[in-house]
Amino acid sequence: MSWFGWWSGSQNSFFGGLHPPESKERTAEVPIEVIPPPTEVRIALLQHLGAACELLVKPRAKVQWGEVIGRSDQFISAPVHASLAGTAMRATVATLPNGRHVSVVPIQAAESQPLAGSALYDALLGGTWPLDDAEQFRPHEIMDAAREAGLVGMGGAAFPTFVKLRRQEDQPVDTVLINGCECEPCLTADYRLMVEAPQPIVAGALLVRHALGAQRVIVCVEDNKPLAVRALRELEKAGVEVLVLKTKYPQGGERQLVKAATGRVMPGGGLPVRVGVAVLNVATVAALAAAVYRGRPLTHRVVSVSGGGIRQPKNLLAPVGTSYRELIRWCGGLTPDAARVIAGGPMMGFSIAADDEVAEKLPTPITKGTSGITVLTQQEVQRAEQTACLRCGRCVDVCPMQLVPTRLALAARAKQRSLLERYHIASCVECGCCAYACPASIPLVQLIRVGKIQFQNS
Amino acid sequence: MATAAFTLILGAAALLLLAVAMACVLGWANQAFHVEVDPRVETLNDALPGANCGGCGYVGCREYAEAVAAGQAELTLCAPGGASCAEQLAAILGTEVTPSYPYRAVVHCAARRDQRLPVPKPQYMGERTCTAANLVSGFQGCTYGCLGLGDCVRACVYDAIHTVEGLATVDYDACIGCKACAEACPRNIISMVPFKAERMLVVACSNRDSGPAVKAVCPVGCISCSLCAKKSERMQMDNGLPVIDYDHYQEECDFAESIEKCRRESLVFVGKPGSKELEQVADEELPARIEAAFHTTVDETDWRG
Repeated sequence: MSWFGWWSGSQNSFFGGLHPPESKERTAEVPIEVIPPPTEVRIALLQHLGAACELLVKPRAKVQWGEVIGRSDQFISAPVHASLAGTAMRATVATLPNGRHVSVVPIQAAESQPLAGSALYDALLGGTWPLDDAEQFRPHEIMDAAREAGLVGMGGAAFPTFVKLRRQEDQPVDTVLINGCECEPCLTADYRLMVEAPQPIVAGALLVRHALGAQRVIVCVEDNKPLAVRALRELEKAGVEVLVLKTKYPQGGERQLVKAATGRVMPGGGLPVRVGVAVLNVATVAALAAAVYRGRPLTHRVVSVSGGGIRQPKNLLAPVGTSYRELIRWCGGLTPDAARVIAGGPMMGFSIAADDEVAEKLPTPITKGTSGITVLTQQEVQRAEQTACLRCGRCVDVCPMQLVPTRLALAARAKQRSLLERYHIASCVECGCCAYACPASIPLVQLIRVGKIQFQNS
Repeated sequence: MATAAFTLILGAAALLLLAVAMACVLGWANQAFHVEVDPRVETLNDALPGANCGGCGYVGCREYAEAVAAGQAELTLCAPGGASCAEQLAAILGTEVTPSYPYRAVVHCAARRDQRLPVPKPQYMGERTCTAANLVSGFQGCTYGCLGLGDCVRACVYDAIHTVEGLATVDYDACIGCKACAEACPRNIISMVPFKAERMLVVACSNRDSGPAVKAVCPVGCISCSLCAKKSERMQMDNGLPVIDYDHYQEECDFAESIEKCRRESLVFVGKPGSKELEQVADEELPARIEAAFHTTVDETDWRG
């Protein structure tokens, strides 16, 4: 292990991983565009990891922009806010990309919105931000602000942010990592944010450091994003460090980032706080700054709409709850050879439509954790017929968690709980490296997810 | 000569001594480690069918027999045994059995494969099981309905459920109500319904979405119009679907108006074919012999390495 650790831990990197085609050039140089307020947004009452919110507004009630419309009394939860001013309608059920059926509140937009266009952009991201003012707040005030603003991890997992900002005497945090490693192909939402709005990111990062009483705050960026590195380095004197990491998938995974940036290895099944680290996404800390300094709850987010099946790929600042259809329409619609719409990036995202006809109708709303929409073309989704495992071991080479995916998949097929446990199925982060590398086209991640279900049920 | 005879006798005597000693130990152990067993457990166990299906919720028939003997379990839980088995158990225990109805599996979906919109193209390249296909939403339009990949078929040990044109269909002649299919279904669309009549009215849809959303993915699914619930007091709308009150369901209960009002095909009768159904297919000829096909004998997902 020591030799392994030395070999894999050098050069700001981690074991395994691979380098799929980045495909970021479509949207990397496209500035963030504010979409005009859609006629309707559908706000899901469960957009985060944890307990679902209970609806607070009655049907036909007028709601203001930023008004709390759902809240839960459970500890691990985050309130949801109206992302537009308008009229709340009767709650219905919608299917989110991850297959969960959640209740959603449709909000019909009012004629006039308080902020739109560039004014909205300036209110959320633009202007100057205080970079030496974090000390004026008490740590718990920052945590409460994050909780009230409904902040969740905006990199995808959507874990309520205030939980990470809680100071724990027995588990002090000495290093805060700000995750700017957008390693997923096609997505550029975080990249554009770092290039265009480094100030709220740094301001938010300093707030996190103060809230946790940490010594260091490191913004981690992959070395394929030199513009972002430059923009952030200009603000380094405010007290943050910028660390450039090797471009590799999944560099943005929590465990991999902690290993690459600090050399610390998180224990299996543990949170980063166990090794004295807190990891937050760049978009999350920018939203934290907006919540603390400007009192803005999390109602909008940057979504990159990209892939070969989109006519005009763009980075959009959209209200939470906007439908996929609306975003795709604002990007010029789908090309004739578009084959599959994916919520998120091509590696870890969830396929939500297999047909362009359906994609035109997609009423699925985006949530706080939706960092992008990728539309793949017929050619890109083409896969070879599945064959038997060759025992070539490529999945083992690339697994960043150092698991044996082929064994796990076999055990899942055979429904062998003891084997699943022996091969540590719970450690899999479903990054998709194994399935990407598999020459036999075995749907390894899908099988492992089936195995996880069996593991939980038995 | 004498030495040889002596050796023989010595050996025999030693063995005899050993046997006696062992017998004493066994006899003592039999007394000392005696466990009081309810003698009825044996007879109860004999009365059970011995299928060990687990449908009663206990691990095997014997554990159920023990629970019955201890008075911790109802007598009517054994699905394979049915009413006659419950009567036998009651006779052994000297109690009366309250009559109950047999529970049978009901699939709450009515859309065949060609009815699921958009008509699925062969784009799904993943694992051919329902549990796996349920993880991706691109498999079919409806996110509630039957996936038709047969997890329930594989779970059934009584050969009582099959996918017919992509829809799980229960064979009510074979179903004994062991609940295995209901537990295997990743979408939880199979439920156990008390069959108070040969044919029961069920809601053959699980989609809780709004009307237009259902129409976009299915031509037969329930659109939550709630007309049926208004026409019958035995039905209620719950979260977008009608629910039939089986506690007060009676064979003579009149659902005709509700069924007539249903503009979709969401209210259907299921169960063993009645005389009317048999009449309809009376002129159809059945194939003389059904050949076993590869896929009926080998689970196609199991052989691949």
